[in-house]
Amino acid sequence: METLIEQTAEKSLKDKIIDLIQKEVPDYMNNFFYCMGATPLILFLVAAATGILMTFYYIPYPEKAYESVMAITSEIYLGWFIRGLHKVSITMMIFTLSLHLVRVFVTRAYKTHGELKWLIGTMLFFTTLAMGFTGYSLVYDQVSYWGMTVVMNMAEEMPLFGPPLAYLLRGGAEVSELTLLRLYDLHTKLLPVLLILLIGGHIIAITVLGFAKVEGSEGKHLFYPEHAMKVGLVAIGLLILMINLVMIFPPTIGQMANPSEVASNVAPPWYFSAVYKWITIAPRQPALFALLFFSAIFVLYPYIDRFLTERGFNMGRINIVLGTVAVAIFSMLTIWNVLF
Amino acid sequence: MGVINDNISRRKFLSSSFMALGLGFGLGMFGLRFLQFLSPKTKTDRFEEILVGSISDISDSDATVMEIAGSKIVLLKTDTGLVAFSRKCTDLGCLVSWDKAKEQFICPCHQGIYDRNGKNIAGPPPRPLDRFQVVQKGENVYVKVKTA
Repeated sequence: METLIEQTAEKSLKDKIIDLIQKEVPDYMNNFFYCMGATPLILFLVAAATGILMTFYYIPYPEKAYESVMAITSEIYLGWFIRGLHKVSITMMIFTLSLHLVRVFVTRAYKTHGELKWLIGTMLFFTTLAMGFTGYSLVYDQVSYWGMTVVMNMAEEMPLFGPPLAYLLRGGAEVSELTLLRLYDLHTKLLPVLLILLIGGHIIAITVLGFAKVEGSEGKHLFYPEHAMKVGLVAIGLLILMINLVMIFPPTIGQMANPSEVASNVAPPWYFSAVYKWITIAPRQPALFALLFFSAIFVLYPYIDRFLTERGFNMGRINIVLGTVAVAIFSMLTIWNVLF
Repeated sequence: MGVINDNISRRKFLSSSFMALGLGFGLGMFGLRFLQFLSPKTKTDRFEEILVGSISDISDSDATVMEIAGSKIVLLKTDTGLVAFSRKCTDLGCLVSWDKAKEQFICPCHQGIYDRNGKNIAGPPPRPLDRFQVVQKGENVYVKVKTA
Protein backbone atom coordinates (compact mmCIF):
# COMPACT_ATOMS: atom_id res chain seq x y z
CA MET A 1 0.00 0.00 0.00
CA GLU A 2 2.74 2.43 0.96
CA THR A 3 4.74 1.77 -2.15
CA LEU A 4 1.67 2.38 -4.26
CA ILE A 5 1.20 5.83 -2.73
CA GLU A 6 4.85 6.59 -3.31
CA GLN A 7 4.56 5.55 -6.93
CA THR A 8 1.54 7.73 -7.60
CA ALA A 9 3.23 10.66 -5.85
CA GLU A 10 6.36 10.19 -7.93
CA LYS A 11 4.39 9.83 -11.11
CA SER A 12 2.30 12.89 -10.46
CA LEU A 13 5.42 14.98 -9.84
CA LYS A 14 6.88 13.81 -13.12
CA ASP A 15 3.57 14.48 -14.80
CA LYS A 16 3.47 17.92 -13.27
CA ILE A 17 6.85 18.77 -14.73
CA ILE A 18 5.78 17.50 -18.12
CA ASP A 19 2.52 19.37 -17.82
CA LEU A 20 4.45 22.57 -17.18
CA ILE A 21 5.95 22.37 -20.64
CA GLN A 22 3.47 20.23 -22.47
CA LYS A 23 0.41 22.39 -23.01
CA GLU A 24 -2.11 22.44 -25.76
CA VAL A 25 -1.91 25.61 -27.74
CA PRO A 26 -4.78 26.83 -29.92
CA ASP A 27 -4.51 26.33 -33.68
CA TYR A 28 -4.73 30.03 -34.45
CA MET A 29 -1.18 30.30 -33.12
CA ASN A 30 -0.06 28.84 -36.44
CA ASN A 31 -0.79 32.26 -37.87
CA PHE A 32 2.30 34.39 -37.32
CA PHE A 33 0.28 37.41 -36.27
CA TYR A 34 -1.11 35.45 -33.35
CA CYS A 35 2.15 34.21 -31.90
CA MET A 36 4.29 37.32 -31.77
CA GLY A 37 4.80 37.13 -28.04
CA ALA A 38 7.66 34.65 -28.37
CA THR A 39 9.55 36.93 -30.78
CA PRO A 40 10.36 39.70 -28.27
CA LEU A 41 11.31 36.99 -25.75
CA ILE A 42 13.91 35.55 -28.14
CA LEU A 43 15.21 39.06 -28.81
CA PHE A 44 15.37 39.78 -25.08
CA LEU A 45 17.60 36.73 -24.59
CA VAL A 46 20.00 38.03 -27.27
CA ALA A 47 19.97 41.52 -25.71
CA ALA A 48 20.64 40.06 -22.24
CA ALA A 49 23.55 37.91 -23.45
CA THR A 50 25.24 40.70 -25.40
CA GLY A 51 24.53 43.17 -22.57
CA ILE A 52 26.23 40.96 -20.00
CA LEU A 53 29.21 40.66 -22.33
CA MET A 54 29.53 44.43 -22.62
CA THR A 55 29.52 44.96 -18.83
CA PHE A 56 32.97 43.33 -18.86
CA TYR A 57 34.36 46.40 -20.63
CA TYR A 58 32.02 49.25 -19.81
CA ILE A 59 33.01 51.79 -17.13
CA PRO A 60 30.07 53.79 -15.70
CA TYR A 61 31.86 57.09 -15.11
CA PRO A 62 31.56 60.22 -17.31
CA GLU A 63 34.24 60.41 -20.03
CA LYS A 64 35.41 56.89 -19.14
CA ALA A 65 31.97 55.69 -20.22
CA TYR A 66 32.32 57.27 -23.63
CA GLU A 67 35.89 55.99 -24.00
CA SER A 68 34.89 52.45 -23.05
CA VAL A 69 31.96 52.43 -25.50
CA MET A 70 34.38 53.76 -28.12
CA ALA A 71 36.77 50.92 -27.26
CA ILE A 72 33.99 48.34 -27.48
CA THR A 73 32.95 49.74 -30.85
CA SER A 74 36.34 50.09 -32.49
CA GLU A 75 39.13 48.36 -30.57
CA ILE A 76 37.92 45.21 -28.84
CA TYR A 77 37.77 42.16 -31.09
CA LEU A 78 34.17 41.73 -32.32
CA GLY A 79 33.12 44.54 -29.98
CA TRP A 80 31.23 46.31 -32.76
CA PHE A 81 29.39 43.07 -33.45
CA ILE A 82 28.33 42.52 -29.84
CA ARG A 83 27.26 46.14 -29.42
CA GLY A 84 25.51 46.01 -32.78
CA LEU A 85 23.59 42.87 -31.80
CA HIS A 86 22.60 44.50 -28.51
CA LYS A 87 21.29 47.57 -30.29
CA VAL A 88 19.52 45.69 -33.07
CA SER A 89 17.92 43.18 -30.70
CA ILE A 90 16.50 45.94 -28.50
CA THR A 91 15.24 47.90 -31.48
CA MET A 92 13.57 44.79 -32.90
CA MET A 93 12.27 43.84 -29.46
CA ILE A 94 10.48 47.16 -29.11
CA PHE A 95 9.16 46.87 -32.67
CA THR A 96 7.83 43.31 -32.30
CA LEU A 97 6.47 44.09 -28.84
CA SER A 98 4.49 46.91 -30.46
CA LEU A 99 3.19 44.55 -33.15
CA HIS A 100 2.16 42.03 -30.49
CA LEU A 101 0.46 44.82 -28.57
CA VAL A 102 -1.45 46.10 -31.60
CA ARG A 103 -2.59 42.58 -32.48
CA VAL A 104 -3.84 41.90 -28.95
CA PHE A 105 -5.58 45.28 -28.92
CA VAL A 106 -7.29 44.97 -32.29
CA THR A 107 -8.50 41.40 -31.73
CA ARG A 108 -9.49 42.26 -28.11
CA ALA A 109 -7.49 39.28 -26.87
CA TYR A 110 -7.10 40.96 -23.46
CA LYS A 111 -10.77 40.18 -22.84
CA THR A 112 -10.79 36.42 -22.51
CA HIS A 113 -9.42 34.86 -19.34
CA GLY A 114 -8.84 37.93 -17.26
CA GLU A 115 -7.07 41.25 -17.53
CA LEU A 116 -3.91 40.15 -15.70
CA LYS A 117 -2.10 39.24 -18.93
CA TRP A 118 -2.72 42.70 -20.36
CA LEU A 119 -1.76 44.48 -17.12
CA ILE A 120 1.56 42.61 -16.86
CA GLY A 121 2.08 43.11 -20.60
CA THR A 122 1.73 46.89 -20.37
CA MET A 123 4.21 46.97 -17.47
CA LEU A 124 6.57 44.90 -19.60
CA PHE A 125 6.21 47.39 -22.43
CA PHE A 126 7.03 50.38 -20.19
CA THR A 127 9.96 48.56 -18.59
CA THR A 128 11.35 47.74 -22.03
CA LEU A 129 11.11 51.42 -23.01
CA ALA A 130 12.88 52.31 -19.74
CA MET A 131 15.61 49.86 -20.71
CA GLY A 132 15.88 51.64 -24.05
CA PHE A 133 16.23 55.04 -22.38
CA THR A 134 18.71 53.98 -19.68
CA GLY A 135 20.65 52.02 -22.31
CA TYR A 136 21.27 54.89 -24.67
CA SER A 137 22.15 57.15 -21.75
CA LEU A 138 25.11 54.90 -20.98
CA VAL A 139 26.83 55.64 -24.30
CA TYR A 140 27.49 59.14 -22.92
CA ASP A 141 27.46 60.95 -26.21
CA GLN A 142 25.59 64.21 -26.76
CA VAL A 143 22.25 62.46 -27.29
CA SER A 144 22.76 60.51 -24.05
CA TYR A 145 23.66 63.51 -21.92
CA TRP A 146 20.98 65.90 -23.15
CA GLY A 147 18.49 63.05 -23.36
CA MET A 148 18.90 62.29 -19.68
CA THR A 149 18.78 65.97 -18.77
CA VAL A 150 15.52 66.41 -20.64
CA VAL A 151 13.92 63.18 -19.38
CA MET A 152 14.83 63.94 -15.75
CA ASN A 153 13.29 67.39 -16.09
CA MET A 154 10.20 65.84 -17.67
CA ALA A 155 9.91 63.50 -14.70
CA GLU A 156 10.23 66.51 -12.42
CA GLU A 157 7.27 68.21 -14.14
CA MET A 158 4.96 65.33 -13.21
CA PRO A 159 2.58 66.10 -10.37
CA LEU A 160 3.18 64.88 -6.80
CA PHE A 161 5.73 62.09 -7.14
CA GLY A 162 7.63 63.79 -10.00
CA PRO A 163 10.14 65.95 -8.08
CA PRO A 164 11.24 63.26 -5.56
CA LEU A 165 11.50 60.71 -8.39
CA ALA A 166 13.67 63.04 -10.48
CA TYR A 167 15.85 63.82 -7.44
CA LEU A 168 16.28 60.11 -6.73
CA LEU A 169 17.09 59.23 -10.35
CA ARG A 170 19.60 62.06 -10.73
CA GLY A 171 21.12 61.60 -7.29
CA GLY A 172 20.79 65.33 -6.70
CA ALA A 173 19.41 68.49 -8.22
CA GLU A 174 21.64 68.33 -11.32
CA VAL A 175 22.77 65.62 -13.72
CA SER A 176 26.15 64.41 -12.45
CA GLU A 177 28.37 61.33 -12.33
CA LEU A 178 25.89 59.86 -9.83
CA THR A 179 23.17 60.05 -12.47
CA LEU A 180 25.18 57.93 -14.90
CA LEU A 181 25.93 55.37 -12.18
CA ARG A 182 22.25 55.21 -11.23
CA LEU A 183 21.14 54.73 -14.80
CA TYR A 184 23.80 52.04 -15.17
CA ASP A 185 22.53 50.24 -12.07
CA LEU A 186 18.97 50.49 -13.35
CA HIS A 187 19.93 49.25 -16.80
CA THR A 188 22.08 46.34 -15.72
CA LYS A 189 20.51 45.27 -12.41
CA LEU A 190 17.12 46.55 -11.30
CA LEU A 191 15.30 46.79 -14.62
CA PRO A 192 16.52 43.39 -15.93
CA VAL A 193 15.34 41.72 -12.71
CA LEU A 194 12.00 43.48 -13.05
CA LEU A 195 11.81 42.54 -16.72
CA ILE A 196 12.52 38.86 -16.01
CA LEU A 197 9.91 38.81 -13.23
CA LEU A 198 7.36 40.43 -15.54
CA ILE A 199 8.14 38.06 -18.41
CA GLY A 200 7.78 35.13 -15.99
CA GLY A 201 4.55 36.57 -14.67
CA HIS A 202 3.21 37.12 -18.18
CA ILE A 203 3.95 33.53 -19.19
CA ILE A 204 2.59 32.07 -15.94
CA ALA A 205 -0.55 34.17 -16.35
CA ILE A 206 -1.04 32.70 -19.83
CA THR A 207 -0.44 29.13 -18.63
CA VAL A 208 -2.76 29.51 -15.65
CA LEU A 209 -5.48 31.64 -17.20
CA GLY A 210 -5.27 30.12 -20.66
CA PHE A 211 -4.87 31.47 -24.17
CA ALA A 212 -7.28 34.04 -25.53
CA LYS A 213 -10.32 32.72 -27.34
CA VAL A 214 -10.49 33.54 -31.01
CA GLU A 215 -13.79 33.00 -32.74
CA GLY A 216 -13.77 30.43 -35.49
CA SER A 217 -10.69 28.66 -34.20
CA GLU A 218 -11.46 25.74 -31.90
CA GLY A 219 -8.66 23.30 -32.76
CA LYS A 220 -5.63 22.67 -30.58
CA HIS A 221 -2.19 21.24 -31.02
CA LEU A 222 0.63 20.35 -28.66
CA PHE A 223 3.24 22.84 -27.54
CA TYR A 224 5.96 20.26 -28.03
CA PRO A 225 7.05 19.39 -30.66
CA GLU A 226 4.82 21.30 -33.09
CA HIS A 227 4.82 24.76 -31.57
CA ALA A 228 8.30 24.63 -30.04
CA MET A 229 9.72 23.78 -33.46
CA LYS A 230 7.99 26.76 -35.00
CA VAL A 231 9.38 29.06 -32.30
CA GLY A 232 12.81 27.58 -32.99
CA LEU A 233 12.39 28.35 -36.66
CA VAL A 234 11.41 31.95 -35.85
CA ALA A 235 14.48 32.20 -33.59
CA ILE A 236 16.79 31.04 -36.38
CA GLY A 237 15.19 33.47 -38.79
CA LEU A 238 15.60 36.31 -36.29
CA LEU A 239 19.27 35.48 -35.69
CA ILE A 240 20.01 35.52 -39.42
CA LEU A 241 18.12 38.79 -39.82
CA MET A 242 19.90 40.37 -36.84
CA ILE A 243 23.36 39.34 -37.99
CA ASN A 244 22.67 40.84 -41.39
CA LEU A 245 21.31 44.04 -39.91
CA VAL A 246 24.42 44.43 -37.74
CA MET A 247 26.65 43.88 -40.77
CA ILE A 248 24.74 46.42 -42.86
CA PHE A 249 24.24 48.97 -40.07
CA PRO A 250 27.22 48.67 -37.71
CA PRO A 251 26.75 50.60 -34.45
CA THR A 252 27.84 54.23 -34.45
CA ILE A 253 28.65 56.67 -31.69
CA GLY A 254 28.01 60.41 -31.59
CA GLN A 255 30.21 63.16 -30.22
CA MET A 256 31.20 62.91 -26.58
CA ALA A 257 28.78 64.50 -24.12
CA ASN A 258 29.53 68.17 -23.59
CA PRO A 259 27.71 69.61 -20.58
CA SER A 260 28.39 73.17 -21.75
CA GLU A 261 27.16 72.90 -25.34
CA VAL A 262 24.08 71.27 -26.84
CA ALA A 263 24.58 69.70 -30.25
CA SER A 264 22.27 70.94 -32.99
CA ASN A 265 20.73 67.49 -33.33
CA VAL A 266 19.88 65.61 -30.16
CA ALA A 267 17.06 63.52 -31.62
CA PRO A 268 16.45 60.30 -29.65
CA PRO A 269 16.18 56.78 -31.14
CA TRP A 270 13.19 56.12 -33.37
CA TYR A 271 10.99 54.62 -30.67
CA PHE A 272 11.07 57.89 -28.74
CA SER A 273 10.81 60.10 -31.84
CA ALA A 274 7.04 60.39 -31.68
CA VAL A 275 7.08 61.45 -28.01
CA TYR A 276 9.98 63.82 -28.71
CA LYS A 277 8.08 65.46 -31.57
CA TRP A 278 4.96 65.62 -29.45
CA ILE A 279 6.63 67.51 -26.59
CA THR A 280 8.25 69.85 -29.12
CA ILE A 281 5.00 70.89 -30.79
CA ALA A 282 2.62 70.93 -27.82
CA PRO A 283 2.74 73.30 -24.83
CA ARG A 284 4.68 71.74 -21.97
CA GLN A 285 2.16 70.98 -19.22
CA PRO A 286 -0.71 69.82 -21.47
CA ALA A 287 1.75 67.72 -23.49
CA LEU A 288 3.01 65.85 -20.42
CA PHE A 289 -0.48 65.55 -18.98
CA ALA A 290 -1.69 64.06 -22.27
CA LEU A 291 1.15 61.49 -22.14
CA LEU A 292 0.20 60.46 -18.60
CA PHE A 293 -3.48 60.32 -19.52
CA PHE A 294 -2.78 58.22 -22.61
CA SER A 295 -0.64 55.80 -20.55
CA ALA A 296 -3.41 55.42 -17.96
CA ILE A 297 -6.01 54.68 -20.67
CA PHE A 298 -3.60 52.21 -22.25
CA VAL A 299 -3.01 50.27 -19.01
CA LEU A 300 -6.67 50.25 -17.96
CA TYR A 301 -8.10 49.59 -21.42
CA PRO A 302 -9.61 46.12 -20.69
CA TYR A 303 -11.75 47.69 -17.96
CA ILE A 304 -12.80 50.55 -20.23
CA ASP A 305 -13.70 47.95 -22.87
CA ARG A 306 -15.87 46.05 -20.41
CA PHE A 307 -17.54 49.24 -19.19
CA LEU A 308 -18.42 50.34 -22.72
CA THR A 309 -19.46 46.85 -23.88
CA GLU A 310 -21.98 46.70 -21.05
CA ARG A 311 -23.45 49.92 -22.42
CA GLY A 312 -23.89 48.45 -25.87
CA PHE A 313 -20.92 49.83 -27.80
CA ASN A 314 -19.44 47.75 -30.61
CA MET A 315 -15.94 47.56 -29.20
CA GLY A 316 -14.62 45.34 -32.00
CA ARG A 317 -15.09 48.18 -34.45
CA ILE A 318 -14.05 50.91 -32.01
CA ASN A 319 -10.78 49.09 -31.31
CA ILE A 320 -9.94 48.80 -34.99
CA VAL A 321 -10.52 52.54 -35.42
CA LEU A 322 -8.58 53.45 -32.25
CA GLY A 323 -5.72 51.11 -33.13
CA THR A 324 -5.47 52.53 -36.63
CA VAL A 325 -5.58 56.12 -35.38
CA ALA A 326 -2.94 55.46 -32.70
CA VAL A 327 -0.58 53.74 -35.16
CA ALA A 328 -1.17 56.50 -37.72
CA ILE A 329 -0.43 59.29 -35.22
CA PHE A 330 2.67 57.49 -33.94
CA SER A 331 3.98 56.91 -37.48
CA MET A 332 3.16 60.44 -38.55
CA LEU A 333 5.00 62.02 -35.61
CA THR A 334 7.96 59.67 -36.10
CA ILE A 335 8.27 60.39 -39.82
CA TRP A 336 7.77 64.10 -39.20
CA ASN A 337 10.60 64.06 -36.66
CA VAL A 338 12.94 62.08 -38.91
CA LEU A 339 12.31 64.19 -41.99
CA PHE A 340 12.21 67.69 -40.52
CA MET B 1 -11.93 30.92 -5.69
CA GLY B 2 -13.77 29.90 -2.56
CA VAL B 3 -13.23 31.16 0.95
CA ILE B 4 -10.60 28.95 2.50
CA ASN B 5 -11.41 29.47 6.17
CA ASP B 6 -14.33 31.61 7.21
CA ASN B 7 -14.73 30.72 10.86
CA ILE B 8 -11.55 32.08 12.47
CA SER B 9 -11.88 33.29 16.01
CA ARG B 10 -11.71 36.95 16.97
CA ARG B 11 -8.45 36.29 18.81
CA LYS B 12 -6.90 34.78 15.70
CA PHE B 13 -8.19 37.58 13.50
CA LEU B 14 -6.79 40.24 15.81
CA SER B 15 -3.41 38.56 16.13
CA SER B 16 -3.17 38.15 12.33
CA SER B 17 -4.13 41.79 11.87
CA PHE B 18 -1.46 42.93 14.28
CA MET B 19 1.06 40.71 12.55
CA ALA B 20 0.20 42.19 9.16
CA LEU B 21 0.31 45.71 10.57
CA GLY B 22 3.70 45.08 12.16
CA LEU B 23 5.08 43.54 9.00
CA GLY B 24 3.82 46.44 6.90
CA PHE B 25 5.28 48.94 9.35
CA GLY B 26 8.64 47.17 9.40
CA LEU B 27 8.89 46.87 5.63
CA GLY B 28 7.74 50.46 5.18
CA MET B 29 10.45 51.60 7.58
CA PHE B 30 13.04 49.67 5.64
CA GLY B 31 11.82 51.12 2.36
CA LEU B 32 11.90 54.66 3.75
CA ARG B 33 15.44 54.23 5.09
CA PHE B 34 16.57 52.79 1.76
CA LEU B 35 15.14 55.79 -0.08
CA GLN B 36 16.84 58.13 2.38
CA PHE B 37 20.12 56.38 1.71
CA LEU B 38 19.62 56.98 -2.01
CA SER B 39 18.92 60.70 -1.59
CA PRO B 40 22.17 62.64 -1.39
CA LYS B 41 22.39 65.51 1.07
CA THR B 42 21.39 68.90 -0.22
CA LYS B 43 24.09 71.46 0.31
CA THR B 44 23.06 74.76 1.78
CA ASP B 45 23.03 77.42 -0.89
CA ARG B 46 25.77 79.97 -0.61
CA PHE B 47 25.90 82.96 -2.91
CA GLU B 48 29.04 84.75 -3.85
CA GLU B 49 29.83 87.70 -6.04
CA ILE B 50 32.38 86.68 -8.61
CA LEU B 51 34.36 89.06 -10.80
CA VAL B 52 33.71 88.42 -14.47
CA GLY B 53 35.58 91.33 -16.04
CA SER B 54 35.60 95.03 -16.58
CA ILE B 55 32.62 96.73 -18.19
CA SER B 56 34.64 97.87 -21.18
CA ASP B 57 35.71 94.28 -21.94
CA ILE B 58 32.16 93.11 -22.41
CA SER B 59 30.98 93.28 -26.01
CA ASP B 60 28.18 95.72 -26.78
CA SER B 61 26.33 93.67 -29.36
CA ASP B 62 27.49 90.10 -28.88
CA ALA B 63 26.77 87.76 -26.00
CA THR B 64 29.58 86.54 -23.75
CA VAL B 65 29.28 82.90 -22.67
CA MET B 66 30.98 81.74 -19.48
CA GLU B 67 30.82 79.15 -16.75
CA ILE B 68 31.26 80.33 -13.17
CA ALA B 69 31.28 77.83 -10.31
CA GLY B 70 29.14 75.40 -12.29
CA SER B 71 26.60 78.02 -13.38
CA LYS B 72 26.38 78.45 -17.14
CA ILE B 73 25.93 82.13 -17.84
CA VAL B 74 25.57 84.39 -20.82
CA LEU B 75 26.24 88.12 -20.45
CA LEU B 76 24.41 90.46 -22.77
CA LYS B 77 23.70 94.16 -22.92
CA THR B 78 19.94 94.37 -23.16
CA ASP B 79 17.56 97.31 -23.35
CA THR B 80 17.75 97.62 -19.58
CA GLY B 81 21.50 97.36 -19.23
CA LEU B 82 23.88 94.47 -18.67
CA VAL B 83 22.14 91.24 -17.73
CA ALA B 84 23.59 87.86 -16.73
CA PHE B 85 21.17 85.24 -18.05
CA SER B 86 21.26 81.63 -17.03
CA ARG B 87 21.81 79.53 -20.14
CA LYS B 88 19.52 76.86 -18.79
CA CYS B 89 16.39 76.70 -20.92
CA THR B 90 13.33 77.15 -18.71
CA ASP B 91 11.63 74.33 -20.62
CA LEU B 92 13.51 71.11 -19.90
CA GLY B 93 16.98 72.23 -18.94
CA CYS B 94 18.99 72.24 -22.19
CA LEU B 95 21.35 75.15 -22.86
CA VAL B 96 20.42 78.13 -24.99
CA SER B 97 22.87 79.77 -27.36
CA TRP B 98 22.88 83.29 -28.76
CA ASP B 99 22.05 83.72 -32.41
CA LYS B 100 23.73 87.01 -33.30
CA ALA B 101 22.05 87.47 -36.68
CA LYS B 102 18.52 86.98 -35.39
CA GLU B 103 19.25 88.54 -31.98
CA GLN B 104 17.59 85.60 -30.24
CA PHE B 105 18.46 82.92 -27.73
CA ILE B 106 17.73 79.51 -29.20
CA CYS B 107 17.40 76.18 -27.44
CA PRO B 108 18.09 73.35 -29.92
CA CYS B 109 16.37 70.61 -27.93
CA HIS B 110 12.75 71.56 -28.51
CA GLN B 111 13.11 74.77 -30.53
CA GLY B 112 12.49 77.20 -27.70
CA ILE B 113 13.19 80.84 -28.68
CA TYR B 114 13.79 83.86 -26.43
CA ASP B 115 14.25 87.45 -27.53
CA ARG B 116 17.26 89.62 -26.60
CA ASN B 117 15.67 90.50 -23.24
CA GLY B 118 15.34 86.84 -22.36
CA LYS B 119 11.58 86.78 -22.91
CA ASN B 120 10.19 83.48 -24.21
CA ILE B 121 8.65 84.23 -27.61
CA ALA B 122 8.23 80.86 -29.31
CA GLY B 123 8.28 77.14 -28.64
CA PRO B 124 7.59 75.32 -25.37
CA PRO B 125 9.44 77.45 -22.74
CA PRO B 126 6.93 78.49 -20.04
CA ARG B 127 8.78 81.57 -18.72
CA PRO B 128 11.65 83.97 -19.54
CA LEU B 129 15.28 82.97 -18.97
CA ASP B 130 16.42 83.09 -15.35
CA ARG B 131 18.79 85.91 -14.41
CA PHE B 132 21.71 86.25 -12.06
CA GLN B 133 22.23 89.43 -10.15
CA VAL B 134 24.86 91.69 -11.70
CA VAL B 135 26.79 94.02 -9.41
CA GLN B 136 28.92 96.78 -10.84
CA LYS B 137 31.63 98.28 -8.67
CA GLY B 138 33.40 101.00 -10.60
CA GLU B 139 34.72 99.41 -13.77
CA ASN B 140 34.43 95.87 -12.45
CA VAL B 141 31.42 93.65 -13.10
CA TYR B 142 30.49 90.95 -10.58
CA VAL B 143 27.88 88.23 -10.96
CA LYS B 144 26.23 86.72 -7.92
CA VAL B 145 26.14 82.94 -8.30
CA LYS B 146 25.50 79.92 -6.18
CA THR B 147 28.69 78.26 -4.99
CA ALA B 148 28.97 74.84 -3.48
